[in-house]
Amino acid sequence: MTAGARSDRRSDGEWADRYRNRWTWDKVTFGSHSVDCYPGGCSWRVFSKDGKVIREEQSAISTPVEAGIPDMNPMGCQKGACWSHCHYSPDRVTKPLKRVGERGEGKFEEVSWDEALSAIGEAMIDAIEDQGAESIISLLTPEFGAIPARIFSDILGTPSTDGNAEFQDFSPGWHVTWGLFNPTATMDDWFLADLTLIWHANPVYTNIHWYHYLAEARYNGGEVVTIAPDYSPSATHADYHQPIRIGTDAALALAMCKVIIDAGIYKKQFVQEQTDLPLLVRKDNDRFLRGNEVMEGDREDQFFWWDTLAGTLAPAPRHTLATTGVDPALEGSFQATLKDGSTVEVEPVFARLRRHLEQYTPERAGEICEIHPDNIRKLARKVATRKTKIFIGWNSGKYYHGDLMERAMALLLGLTGNWGKKGTGTRSWAVMGMDGNVFMSRKEGPGQEAAQKHIAGLIAMRRLVASTDPTMTLEMIQNRVAEQAVELGGMGNTMPPAFLWYHQCGYKERWDDPENNDPSMKRSFSEYLKEATDKGWWDESYAKAYETVEPRVLFEAGGNILRRQRGGQKMLLKHLWPKLKMIVSVDYRLSTTGLFSDYVLPAAQHYEKLGNSMPSIHHLNWVLCDRAVEPLDQSLPDWEIGVRLLEKIEAAARKRGMKDYVDRKGVTRSLENLADRATQGGVLRDEEKRMDEYLRDNAVYGVLPKGSNLETLREKGQVRFTNWGMVGHGISQASTIRPDEVHNPLRWHTEDKVPYDTLVRRAQYYIDHEWFLEAEEALPTHKEPPNHGGANRRFMMTSGHNRWSIHSMNLTNNIIQNTHRGEPFVFLNDKDAAELGIENGEQVKMVSNAGEMLISAKLTPSCRPGQVIVYNGFEPYMHENWYSQADIEPGHIKHLGLVGNYGQLKYRPLSWQPIPADRAVRVDVEKVG
Amino acid sequence: MGNTTESKRQLAWVFDLNKCTGCQTCSVACRVLWNDGEQGADHQWWMTVNTKPGAGTPKDWEKMGGGYDAQGNPQLGHLPSPEEFGGGWDYNYDEVLRGGGGRSVHLKKTAGSQSWGMNWDEDEGGGEFPNAYFFYLPRLCNHCSEPSCVEACPSGALFKREEDGLVLRDETQCGGSQDCARACPYKKVYFNEARKVSQHCIGCFPRLEQGVAPACVRQCPGRAAFVGFLDDEASYVHKLVKKWEVALPLHPEMGTKPNVYYVPPLSPAPLREDGSYDEGGNRIPPSYLEDLFGNRVHGAMDVLRTELDAKRRGRDSELMDLLILYRWEDCLGHLSRDPAEIVWE
Repeated sequence: MTAGARSDRRSDGEWADRYRNRWTWDKVTFGSHSVDCYPGGCSWRVFSKDGKVIREEQSAISTPVEAGIPDMNPMGCQKGACWSHCHYSPDRVTKPLKRVGERGEGKFEEVSWDEALSAIGEAMIDAIEDQGAESIISLLTPEFGAIPARIFSDILGTPSTDGNAEFQDFSPGWHVTWGLFNPTATMDDWFLADLTLIWHANPVYTNIHWYHYLAEARYNGGEVVTIAPDYSPSATHADYHQPIRIGTDAALALAMCKVIIDAGIYKKQFVQEQTDLPLLVRKDNDRFLRGNEVMEGDREDQFFWWDTLAGTLAPAPRHTLATTGVDPALEGSFQATLKDGSTVEVEPVFARLRRHLEQYTPERAGEICEIHPDNIRKLARKVATRKTKIFIGWNSGKYYHGDLMERAMALLLGLTGNWGKKGTGTRSWAVMGMDGNVFMSRKEGPGQEAAQKHIAGLIAMRRLVASTDPTMTLEMIQNRVAEQAVELGGMGNTMPPAFLWYHQCGYKERWDDPENNDPSMKRSFSEYLKEATDKGWWDESYAKAYETVEPRVLFEAGGNILRRQRGGQKMLLKHLWPKLKMIVSVDYRLSTTGLFSDYVLPAAQHYEKLGNSMPSIHHLNWVLCDRAVEPLDQSLPDWEIGVRLLEKIEAAARKRGMKDYVDRKGVTRSLENLADRATQGGVLRDEEKRMDEYLRDNAVYGVLPKGSNLETLREKGQVRFTNWGMVGHGISQASTIRPDEVHNPLRWHTEDKVPYDTLVRRAQYYIDHEWFLEAEEALPTHKEPPNHGGANRRFMMTSGHNRWSIHSMNLTNNIIQNTHRGEPFVFLNDKDAAELGIENGEQVKMVSNAGEMLISAKLTPSCRPGQVIVYNGFEPYMHENWYSQADIEPGHIKHLGLVGNYGQLKYRPLSWQPIPADRAVRVDVEKVG
Repeated sequence: MGNTTESKRQLAWVFDLNKCTGCQTCSVACRVLWNDGEQGADHQWWMTVNTKPGAGTPKDWEKMGGGYDAQGNPQLGHLPSPEEFGGGWDYNYDEVLRGGGGRSVHLKKTAGSQSWGMNWDEDEGGGEFPNAYFFYLPRLCNHCSEPSCVEACPSGALFKREEDGLVLRDETQCGGSQDCARACPYKKVYFNEARKVSQHCIGCFPRLEQGVAPACVRQCPGRAAFVGFLDDEASYVHKLVKKWEVALPLHPEMGTKPNVYYVPPLSPAPLREDGSYDEGGNRIPPSYLEDLFGNRVHGAMDVLRTELDAKRRGRDSELMDLLILYRWEDCLGHLSRDPAEIVWE
């Protein structure tokens, strides 16, 4: 042992060597966690000794990107710091398990891989014969490391539920406004904001490895304001905390918009150029004035403004946002002559907006939001005059009217010119650079020449798509290709699960319950759904298939649907489970879903296999998870599980003489050579070869620096992306990656005047779809959350991600359990609790019209009176009776999510679709016994 | 004060409470490194982060006594029990996951404290809605310059290391009297029932000896922790404690001259009855901060506010730039070696 300068002999003894020896190792590897941790991307050093992982420590290898901005070190949180503990913890599963008792009883016997996979392969072929391939449902759980286990869905073309509805991390308001929901800056860009509004987010819990940029932005002279119902943990480091009545955020944003417009301090040129606010709307029918109404043969999606310089109606250019030579009117009322010679009154959206905002005076909004009107005025002026960023998570999108909240926030940013430049904008999730992985089985052979050919083919296809319209932008081409992939059954056949839930999981009754619905709906949910499917808005998305197809196989890899499902496990266990002949859980641990599965397949842990951490745009790094030790016992890397399963599916089909099947999209799909197709004829079967190919191909695709391969990544641990690639949300950043700059999205729009991929090709605040007009939601507006959960209940449950776990996966880690209460709990305001006679730590019952659960009460004055917060993730089996938070959430869907025939409101994977709501659920809290 | 050896140099820690998010990465890093899987260490968390106001761990430690009396003699206060430290929980994993009982059994604690945990009152805090307040207070052994534990130890096992001022225990000499735990006013000494020795934070001395910073500092993702020699003018610790005097010891009145320092917490403007902001008001009562950090806290807060204001007015501030920590390794002082470089023979 090479000791440093030790002068005091008293620390030379055997007692001290005991400690010194504990901190030794024989191997160091780079590692991370290829899990659904977003933004993730932490690079760790994994220290092992005698073939066992002993601990991990953040590698802290990030180099500064832009001068004058703090570096990203040392990325990694407490979950990561004890991940090694999960490798050897009692909930680890290391042998294939077959259920021998009733589902959920937890009685299993250990079986061989061969037996387990054969049974699953047979069940899949049974399902294809019985109900068709659409009866094999994979759940799109975004744990990156687990995705290869379900490669069969990609190779066979069986459907995967779209994760954006499964886990609801969608920002519908961003999508409505920009045609994309995931413009996302890198985290170091937060440092540059002069004003940060932490709104619908709690980064102190959820961005532990990144939070420092907010604290540092403040030390750099920026101001931080939190807006939340409760005094959230993230408020502790804010300059101002603005408490707000639950679910009223749109009213606050709109009142700020009113203040800004009334004071004339909006950014006029930004508004004219970047937004639809100058576009003309007909007063007779509230619809945009359209080209085919003005001139025979003109486009339906040509829109107009009034040029005040020329004093004429003029088409708003579709190919650029530049307003060179024109001054589009924002106010006034004008006459437009239609092609039949008649005239109609038209006015800019801005003029309508100004009238619409009359109802949002700071005084009125102050009453709605329970905020002092002066606070609204002051904050509005700050937003209008400073580089402002809305730090938001995926909380707003989980509100029933979260679309309206986000549209109102986007309006606030648009009026103040706060996007498309450093230190501004908002936030969502975005991943990128998976091209090498996704294209691996699609290119014509192994090797980088095949990759070059593949990319050439893709570029040619994109040119073809673009040839239909010379004004198409890169974003538009990318999105059209994704939409076509849905139609053709590509992209692993991703489907919006709402229709499956409605027809096969018992949700019809619940969604038709008027108590859960918005009072502005003129018809039942079912009638809206029928109209949407009858009109073919979701034809490519299995909207009708599940009217008849009964699911037979459910395949969950790396996820825990019985914890996650909005609407609760009861819906699934009652309605879906009895139809299923085979339920599979691939996991390294026994989750609640595992306990209700027919087979549990043991996956290797994250230091036992090759992978990469969430390739998030928040950090822009490709981060290696290396194999530090061999998989424990019989556990296998997910990739190996996936390929072995393909072999068994292939064998089962061969036994029955089945060579192929035709799916409901009419595509003939081969059941032969499945494993070979996934592995390029076996060449890429080996995990190391596959990873090396992924990296080398990524270099070919321009995503990673030239020369990248497994060896270079093992030296460096991580490497910064060089370009967006085609797979993921790179191009929808609409900005260029610069090697020495932080990334801020939408700069192609603000700097290069490239149009947006919305119906009107501008940031769109006015949605003239008939359903939106009927709901009086053409413009962003405020609506109260519906009575989902039940009218006349005392509390609203808000919730959010917890501090201690990524979903449920760390909540059974004994180290982590000891850092909180070690049992599920609900935060309750101390005075509310006193009125109900509830003590701190007492078990209580939480009740809604969807169900009930038992949980321990935790009292705090930080919780808003009338609010309850259950930070989510607790395993159902941590609760008495196993009912958890999701079981009191009705899982209701806003009917406007069913719109599918309007510009950007069209399905493509991980994007616009019907999404359940689980925030502001109305509940009661009762003493037990 | 008696038999404490003078150390040649003193290592010190600084925690910036305006950056600490209470994430427990320091606690977990410490536990995995030194205690996880060790017999008799179930309740031992040498590093902890608690919500203040709050009872922390051990529960109500600030009321347990210790330190020195008026004559400068070590005072033996209350000996905290494992129940008061809290936690040490194990669970019925096998019963739930492999017992075949289904819903009739759920995951429950099978060992450890019945009433408390090391972070039991997390995020509860004080005040009244909407002016509730709280902040996070990370704590480890203070490696005091006048450690009452050392003075109280009847067997001479505890000593203050010459080269860095760490308070360490020769465990072969420890007789298990636990007088150190009684005498420690911060209640950061634990007893290992299996080995019959007291244990506390060892300052990561094996790491220090290799030029590597303690795990609690090096693994802090909030970039809220700093380590270095107090007399090293280049160290951020020196700059924050000595030059800018914005980092203060916890409970200086306890008299042990602790070497863990804290940049005290700012807090959002409180709301008046009508919901408007009381711009000049204090959400965290200054008297509460004084209880924790002594009366120098007011001056430190003034300096912080003045420098923050300077930045907001576009002026330079050395202090704010230190706290921003543009280059992370600057928080590690002279201990900036990457442990992955080490090859053990």
